[in-house]
Amino acid sequence: MKTICDGRSGDTRLMQGNEAFARGALEAGLSVVAGYPGTPSSEIVENLAKASTVRDIYVEWSVNEKVAMEVAAAASFAGLRSAAVMKQVGVNVASDFMLHLAESGTRGGMILISCEDPGALSSGNEGESRPFAKLFELPLLEPCDMQEAKDMTKWAFELSEEIRNLVMIRSVTRLSHASGNVTLGSLPEIEPEARYKHWGTPIDPEEGPITTFPVHYKHAQMQQKLKQAVTRFEESPFNTYEGPENPEVIIVTSSACTLYSREAIRLLGVADRVGLLKLGTTWPLPPRLMETHLAKADVIFTVEEVLPFLEDSVKILAAEISDRIGVKKFHGRSDGTLPTINELNPDLVAEGLAKILGMTYQAVDPTYTALADEATATDAPERDLAFCAGCPHRASFWSIHNALEMDGRQGFVCGDIGCYTLAFLPTGFSTLKTGHAMGSGTGIASGFGKLDRFGMDQPVLSVCGDSTFFHAVMPALVNAIHNRADMTLVVLDNSGTAMTGFQPHPGRPSDAAGNEVPALDIAKIVRAMGAHVEESDPFDVDATRHKVLELLQKGGVNVLILKQSCALCPEKKGKKLFQVDLDASVCFGENCGCNKLCTRVFKCPGLQWDPEAKAARIDEVICSGCGVCASICPSGAITKKEVA
Amino acid sequence: MATKALAADPYNLIITGVGGQGNVLASKLIGNMLADQGYYITIGETFGASQRGGSVMSHLRISSDSIQSPQIPKGKAHMVVALEPTEALRVLKEYGNPDVKVITNTRAVYSVGVVCGDDAYPSMDELRGWMDKLTAGAWFIDATDEAVKLGTAILGNVLLVGALAAIGDLPLGRDRFSEVMARTMPAGKVDINLSAFDKGLAVVSASSNNQSV
Amino acid sequence: MRIYGSKELINDVAQRDLCIGCGMCVNICPYFKTYKGKSAMLFPCMLDQGRCNAHCPKTEVDLDALSHFFWNEPYDGSPLGRFKRIMAARAGEKVSGSFQGGGTVSALVAYALKRNLIEGAVLTGAEGIEPVARLVAEPEQVAACAGSKFIAAPTLTALNQAARDGARRLAVVGTPCQMTAVAQMRMNPTKREDFEDPIALAVGVFCNWALDHRQLVAYLSERMDASTITGMDIPPPPAEVLVVKTAEGEERFPLKEIRKLIPHTCFICPDMTAEWSDVSVGMYEGRSGWNTLLIRTQVGFELVERAVEAGWLEVETFPKENEQALSGAALAKKERSFRNADRHGYLRQDDEDCRPAVRVPPEVLARLLG
Repeated sequence: MKTICDGRSGDTRLMQGNEAFARGALEAGLSVVAGYPGTPSSEIVENLAKASTVRDIYVEWSVNEKVAMEVAAAASFAGLRSAAVMKQVGVNVASDFMLHLAESGTRGGMILISCEDPGALSSGNEGESRPFAKLFELPLLEPCDMQEAKDMTKWAFELSEEIRNLVMIRSVTRLSHASGNVTLGSLPEIEPEARYKHWGTPIDPEEGPITTFPVHYKHAQMQQKLKQAVTRFEESPFNTYEGPENPEVIIVTSSACTLYSREAIRLLGVADRVGLLKLGTTWPLPPRLMETHLAKADVIFTVEEVLPFLEDSVKILAAEISDRIGVKKFHGRSDGTLPTINELNPDLVAEGLAKILGMTYQAVDPTYTALADEATATDAPERDLAFCAGCPHRASFWSIHNALEMDGRQGFVCGDIGCYTLAFLPTGFSTLKTGHAMGSGTGIASGFGKLDRFGMDQPVLSVCGDSTFFHAVMPALVNAIHNRADMTLVVLDNSGTAMTGFQPHPGRPSDAAGNEVPALDIAKIVRAMGAHVEESDPFDVDATRHKVLELLQKGGVNVLILKQSCALCPEKKGKKLFQVDLDASVCFGENCGCNKLCTRVFKCPGLQWDPEAKAARIDEVICSGCGVCASICPSGAITKKEVA
Repeated sequence: MATKALAADPYNLIITGVGGQGNVLASKLIGNMLADQGYYITIGETFGASQRGGSVMSHLRISSDSIQSPQIPKGKAHMVVALEPTEALRVLKEYGNPDVKVITNTRAVYSVGVVCGDDAYPSMDELRGWMDKLTAGAWFIDATDEAVKLGTAILGNVLLVGALAAIGDLPLGRDRFSEVMARTMPAGKVDINLSAFDKGLAVVSASSNNQSV
Repeated sequence: MRIYGSKELINDVAQRDLCIGCGMCVNICPYFKTYKGKSAMLFPCMLDQGRCNAHCPKTEVDLDALSHFFWNEPYDGSPLGRFKRIMAARAGEKVSGSFQGGGTVSALVAYALKRNLIEGAVLTGAEGIEPVARLVAEPEQVAACAGSKFIAAPTLTALNQAARDGARRLAVVGTPCQMTAVAQMRMNPTKREDFEDPIALAVGVFCNWALDHRQLVAYLSERMDASTITGMDIPPPPAEVLVVKTAEGEERFPLKEIRKLIPHTCFICPDMTAEWSDVSVGMYEGRSGWNTLLIRTQVGFELVERAVEAGWLEVETFPKENEQALSGAALAKKERSFRNADRHGYLRQDDEDCRPAVRVPPEVLARLLG
């Protein structure tokens, strides 16, 4: 198997940003990594998991990001180098521990890699995690390309060990999921020995217990550590300036925005007018370095995403030293030079820069654009996101939606995070009616389930996946049971963490490295909590609808576990449960009695409407053989036969 | 390492298609072939919800002198390789320009909107018409059909890499291809991929531009 | 007869609270289902015209069209509808078992099954107090479905399912609204080429009002443990109570309270005696153990004759005063309902876009409303 351990020092190869992070961690002598799947971060842990087959490292998909950070911290406390990896919202989950970890300090080098998703390409929010560094007084690093992803990771471990605290590295989708040339370093031969020294005094940094007490003392220490990091930042090779000595405008930037900014300067042809201060160390800003460069120009243009975090820091610093560098004009997100929502790209930066310089920038001839717009509007049909053919969620939401209509009391489902989040859309019959964070569906349902005293008579449900159940739903369910809320939780158990790439979780019998491990049983856990539990196969839509309807009439906390594995899981690959056939001569088509139920409403991609034959047909290549369409077809045109 | 001069620097290549068609593999393949020759390569990918029927794109930046951003600026694509024909149109809307060239598969992948009868899928003639107006040259290749003849539809992506190689704007020699294959593919899969590459080379070499091949 | 689709059905019936839950829209297609007495649309079918709307007894019921189809005569608004004979009737000596009233319906249906005049009968059974649709094929199974349910039932779901399964020569026993729906279906209003009338015998039962199952259960649940209910009855006047049977015994509730649960849709129904049937059967006020029997069609006439001859049914003359009283009651319901419907605007036919609940010939309406 090819792993990121391949290749020798000095080799240059094309690497994905996340692969580069993983390689950097190995080059730093990492021993332990823990994370929770989250796009765009997952490949870091996946690559390290593959590497663990050839290198002695422990790789864990933890139950959630808070525990992941705690697991990594333990390794650090025991003197090993460790990393916690997550997407931006994972940092929110880990933040309580992160605050305390920052105050208690670490021992072995420990880093947090937070991979953010500006533009919400794979998220339900445009949150970012850089402010946590400021909030918790920790050093923040932002690589701008794949080489830096590797090199800064390695350096981050050194910094962490020097200051004895967590170092945060921030990435974005356009870095984590992009690939570029990376020159490899060497993989050290390490022989780590884990030992947690705790017998010293409370303030002994080497051998004392690791706590946040005494709080004021530890807090002061933490601030001292940060100051030390800043002195390193002043000399860091990851902060660079390129451009004229006296530019009209200085762009201050970091992360992938560095590449956009460089591109923008090139597109406008203003390399002689615009300087680029690229920062790799973005919190705290090294004041002497900043002063040197901010003095060069009167106009400062900060390019970043998502919040004006860097911009605010630059403004504060500039205000503090304005007597030495003069008063500056600032542009960025706050004044509308850059948009405040969605991700950036070279064009948005070029447009902003052009505005500042009093130029116009036109990417392409407007007649071409008009023609291309017309072409796409007429002849490039939109691709709505849809559940895969054979996805158990389509069947589950079919049953839940129909049960709610039959119940007739305007009941609703509180949604959660996973592939099933798509059930907001027609692919899931627009069944989900709230959608927030991990576990929020059940927390909110627990709340709705107590409003009967105020006249609420609508039945309340929530959904969650099997991974989400362990991550965050359990405490919410405990809350509902203990507080006697009336609600039904539907656990959509498709045997994996599907949306992020089918990683394992505590309900599965194998771990990140493929070892056999105990699988926790959701039904047993929920029964032990005291909820009423039922199970059903979502592919049996009639039985499932019947069960849902029954539970909607019951009070108290009900849990319905719908068990059917994901269409993309390894066990199902290339195998069909049923051979499904469609006899077009029997199909009711557009007539009263059907009107294209299977293609128009059920919308499985394996079913296609043939406007010439005026009948549906099955695409053999896409059809995964789940057989659900045969159950819903009113004419009997669709039949299914078990595959031997 | 001294690198051959490119038709443009940076040279901007977009590989597009529908999730699951193998655009990522194709982009890595091309990226590796060029990185091995000393070029600075940046590949930007948009995936995530791609498995669930969405459009996907890989942006390849190839340069002799510096690292480029993972997103190609608007209107600056030099070449578009499309695994699905309507995706080529979609890409041209943002990144096309009068000088762009397009190599596209002819096999449609219907969106859910089309399969359920809500939207209409354009005819090949309509698509050719647009390509005529929006590009400086377009190649229409029955990549899926040819790939199926070789064994499996997914080979269409490698076939189109062969086609790209034949057009000659980028130095994508067969030897380079073999080397990268040997390095990145399991041994058993190398030969069939070579056949696909060769087929792509052959179909383009045998035709002139804007003809069905 | 104007034909509309499911969108109009939802607008004109469900959203106006006129749905009686008869089930005529269910089992024609996948989009309508019934649950605990209420019909629900799962998804809009997006068709402009459909059987669900055309057959529904609460929208676009064209009384003239029905009358022409069945009697070759215009609708005249007569209180009891068209009939050949009115008689007193009860189950004959050949019929075993005890009945709530006279047992006439059970006797006729069981006889028709026995003699293979019909292949099956669509009846209304019950699970506890929840009425359920039943398709029976054996005479012995009929008695289990005997007795008024007093609760609106989705009986016609079983008719639609049976028809789809290819059943023909069916009997259906239903309330006036149900029989109106069945009558519309038999006219094949959507002009389907593959239509075959599955009905061989239509038996109507008299009805003044019915209760909504969900509302009744909610009412009872506040006053007792509804899970122990095994059945219920409304004894004839002057009792004025609803009797609920449980394993332990009986509970009684004042009818005055129960009447508040009558769904508003019953108050626009002009038909007390199920005018669109072969025979209609009701209580015989003042004579327990007997029914009032209206024989309307030749089919009904022949069936009654044969059943009497075979000892399955007993008939007697029906006193003129009783017929007048019945007629008076039926007329009162008709007038009251038309007046109520008119007040709500449900009878408007004055422009192209009106979709009335019932199309009443204007002269008939004028005469009745005075």
